[in-house]
Amino acid sequence: MELPPDLAGRAAVEGVRVEEAWLTTRTDLNLHGQYEPVYLLVEADRLVTLGQPASPDEPALRISLQREHIQEVRTRQGIGGGFLEARSEGVYVEILAYSNALADVFQKVAAKLKLWIAAEKPQVGPEDDFNPRTCPVCGMALEFKGDVCRRCINRGAVFVRVLKLMRPYAGKAALMIALVLVAIGLSLVPQQLVRLLINHVLAPGQAHNPVLAEDVARMYLLGMVAALLGTHVLIAFTSVLSGRLASFVGTQITFDMRSRVFGHLTRLSVAYYDRYNVGQLMSRVVGDTEQMKGFVHQLTGGFLAQLITVAAVGAMLFSLDWRLALITLLPAPLVVLSAVFFWRRIYPRYYRVWDANSKLHGVLNTILSGIRVVKAFGQEEREQDRFARSSGYVRDSFRGVEYTVTMFNPAIGVLFQLGGILVWFMGGQWVLRGRLNLGDLIAFLGYLWMFYNPLGHLTQLTNWLTQFLTATQRTFEILDTRSQIVEAERPKPLAQRGGGIRFEHVTFGYNRHEPIIKDVSFEIAPGEHVGVVGKSGSGKTTLINLLARFYEVDDGRILLDGEDLRDLKLDELRRTVGVVLQEPFLFRGTIYGNITYGQNETDPEKVLAAAKAANAHDFIIRHPLGYDTYIGERGSGLSGGERQRISIARAILYDPKVLILDEATSNVDTESEQLIQAALRRVTAGRTTLAIAHRLSTLKDSDRIVVVDDGRIIEQGSHEELLAAKGVYYRLVKIQTELSREPAVDSLASMTPKPT
Amino acid sequence: MESDSNPQPADAASAAEAPAHDPTEVRYLTPEMCRIHLGSHGALHATVLNDRIYGGVYAAYAFPVAHSDEFISLIHSGGDGDEKEIGIIRDLKAFPEDQAALVRAALQRRYFIHRVQRIHQIGWKYGFVRLDVETDKGHIDFLMRWKTDRAVDYGRRGKVLIDVSENRYLIPDLAALTPKEQQDFRRIIYW
Repeated sequence: MELPPDLAGRAAVEGVRVEEAWLTTRTDLNLHGQYEPVYLLVEADRLVTLGQPASPDEPALRISLQREHIQEVRTRQGIGGGFLEARSEGVYVEILAYSNALADVFQKVAAKLKLWIAAEKPQVGPEDDFNPRTCPVCGMALEFKGDVCRRCINRGAVFVRVLKLMRPYAGKAALMIALVLVAIGLSLVPQQLVRLLINHVLAPGQAHNPVLAEDVARMYLLGMVAALLGTHVLIAFTSVLSGRLASFVGTQITFDMRSRVFGHLTRLSVAYYDRYNVGQLMSRVVGDTEQMKGFVHQLTGGFLAQLITVAAVGAMLFSLDWRLALITLLPAPLVVLSAVFFWRRIYPRYYRVWDANSKLHGVLNTILSGIRVVKAFGQEEREQDRFARSSGYVRDSFRGVEYTVTMFNPAIGVLFQLGGILVWFMGGQWVLRGRLNLGDLIAFLGYLWMFYNPLGHLTQLTNWLTQFLTATQRTFEILDTRSQIVEAERPKPLAQRGGGIRFEHVTFGYNRHEPIIKDVSFEIAPGEHVGVVGKSGSGKTTLINLLARFYEVDDGRILLDGEDLRDLKLDELRRTVGVVLQEPFLFRGTIYGNITYGQNETDPEKVLAAAKAANAHDFIIRHPLGYDTYIGERGSGLSGGERQRISIARAILYDPKVLILDEATSNVDTESEQLIQAALRRVTAGRTTLAIAHRLSTLKDSDRIVVVDDGRIIEQGSHEELLAAKGVYYRLVKIQTELSREPAVDSLASMTPKPT
Repeated sequence: MESDSNPQPADAASAAEAPAHDPTEVRYLTPEMCRIHLGSHGALHATVLNDRIYGGVYAAYAFPVAHSDEFISLIHSGGDGDEKEIGIIRDLKAFPEDQAALVRAALQRRYFIHRVQRIHQIGWKYGFVRLDVETDKGHIDFLMRWKTDRAVDYGRRGKVLIDVSENRYLIPDLAALTPKEQQDFRRIIYW
């Protein structure tokens, strides 16, 4: 980004080396919280902010900070915006303010400035100006980061892709559309039959129509009635067929799409899930794919059918009598306007009714669920008032809608009748004058209703189209996303499964410009137990995420038994590296099913042995249904410790050579922790183990402890060695000893360091 | 200027034997024991008697709706990134006007909120709710998602709207809008 020329001139006069700046960016707010473009320039050894001076006497330079005076740079979130701050001489100074629209941009800027103050060379490129909250093409704000721009959607391309999805069902879809056309064609027939019936049988002799003999007329009558019956039966038949086909094609396409999206989601890397929250993805898999069914229904009974009906009926009206047809069109704009009025003004009032009802439910639920508290505090009267307010809101909302609807419906009825009245008035006169047959007039009136009804619905076409295209594009976006973790074209098999691990100059950041792991190298021998210790955010979990290859390293490599993880078959890697997480994740199903998760073949004896080793067997067997006990979502019905022991049993059964324990005992009570620790001792025997724990007492028996700080390994050694070194580990132990009265931790500090 | 590990006393008299205040109790800051001023680079400072000078302070409302000029928390960011409350100003008006102005300016910086004065138009665009409004920061046209968590209650009479960029727009009292504005607004933001 470049400074405006006049500001650049002023800045140069005030000693700013504009050409030498390696970073120039603009914010939208000044430090008074007012909209104003303020520029940040970073030179080799100084950062400055510049703003357009209000008068020639004022300086353009707002803030100037030498790099050597800055200890830290950070962003701080405010309400509706944020600040870029620098810590200078122990005090955080606000460098600039920004609105939330620029929050992502300034997070990147802060990351670069952190490198700058560490005298490292940050890379700056055009990609840094990319704001994931706005459309890169038109600049419009997006619904959420990385969402589809609703303005820039290539509508044609989306439609083509949707139609391609129908290809496997092309025959059925074509038949379905043909049936829709037939049904529309057939729906025009009854009015024609009525016309013929009246003109030639019931009221002959007008407008030069010949009068039939009685027998012939009776024959005609019977024939016409039979034809009417036949037409209606045919219409019903085609409707049933096209409806069933629509249901088949619609649900099948939705099913196909949902399966494809879900399958693709499971193949995407963990990094993808960092960008989108589970709620958004669920809405895409469940809600957005459902739109496919809607699309097919729109073809059969929705907008397409209505559009064709309007065109076909319109053509029929003009073919019957073009002058009457023109008269028919007179109220058409009013019909359209009243439909628009209904959808925009009246229909939204129903939302209030639904909202009022839902609030009433909520209030009632809260009061009744908390009735003991209400009674204990003697607040019955207050709750009665609260309920009355909610109930009154429901009453008023209903009244509001019903008063309007009771007025609107008769009014729209009159409007619809207006067309009929005009046709009766003009057409009636023409019938009397012999210019028009009575049958033609009656048929005309019949077509009139078929013409007005779909007109009203078509006013919703654009709304539906926007909703459909956005949802579909979102779905396609998932399918178009490539996984960051790809298997090598020719994956190597693991020659031996010893469990030796080596990190070689590994650098990684969840955002590439913000490394979390910085040039880390260390080795773990097969069967070695290594504890990883460090403050929150120091990079411990990131290390194990990389080892499990949930993410790809940015630089360097990780070797497992001498092979780069990227060269290994993913299946084989997963078989070799097992993970026990802080939050054990159990799926809805039986305990048995959860322990054997990930196993192709299951053997009850092995499951029992694994559960026993995990100290899980005793509590499982106490359940009436033992291992066949059905547990709910995420293991509901079990305590945290029980869930964890099941996940350990799962790990034992999985039998990986390398075991990763990520805070496996942090969320359980002391008694459960002891049971879990005992189980872990059994499960880790003979396996390479990498364990993270906040409670340092759980790691003191490790062969080696690695201390991570700010993405780097700063200390490593045995518990005793590190205590003796009196470094970061020693301080962490001391803090925990002071904070906790648990004997396990107290005992840590009381240990006398062995001389080294 | 002092570093956080070596706090500089407010003045020589108040310095040394500063009794640490109980962190479980609310400390109310009064003009008698607290002076609010600017330090280097315009950072807000608070000097507390018998305590220390806190540099790089920001202010936050405890009750932004019910008591907008009272119960204002002053928070200090330590060098380790930890944030600690210095104390609460019970009534800002009790402070000298120049100090109160500094706190108000800090609040204005922290709460970047547009106060909606008029709603010119509310409708739909690209599936979003589009609002064309006049605010204390000028005329603004913005898009917001049509979801209940994007228009949240502000007390019993107002609403805070959050646009797609997470910017905030406050309507303190819906009843203060014209009947047409209220009707148009309620038609879409019905909750």
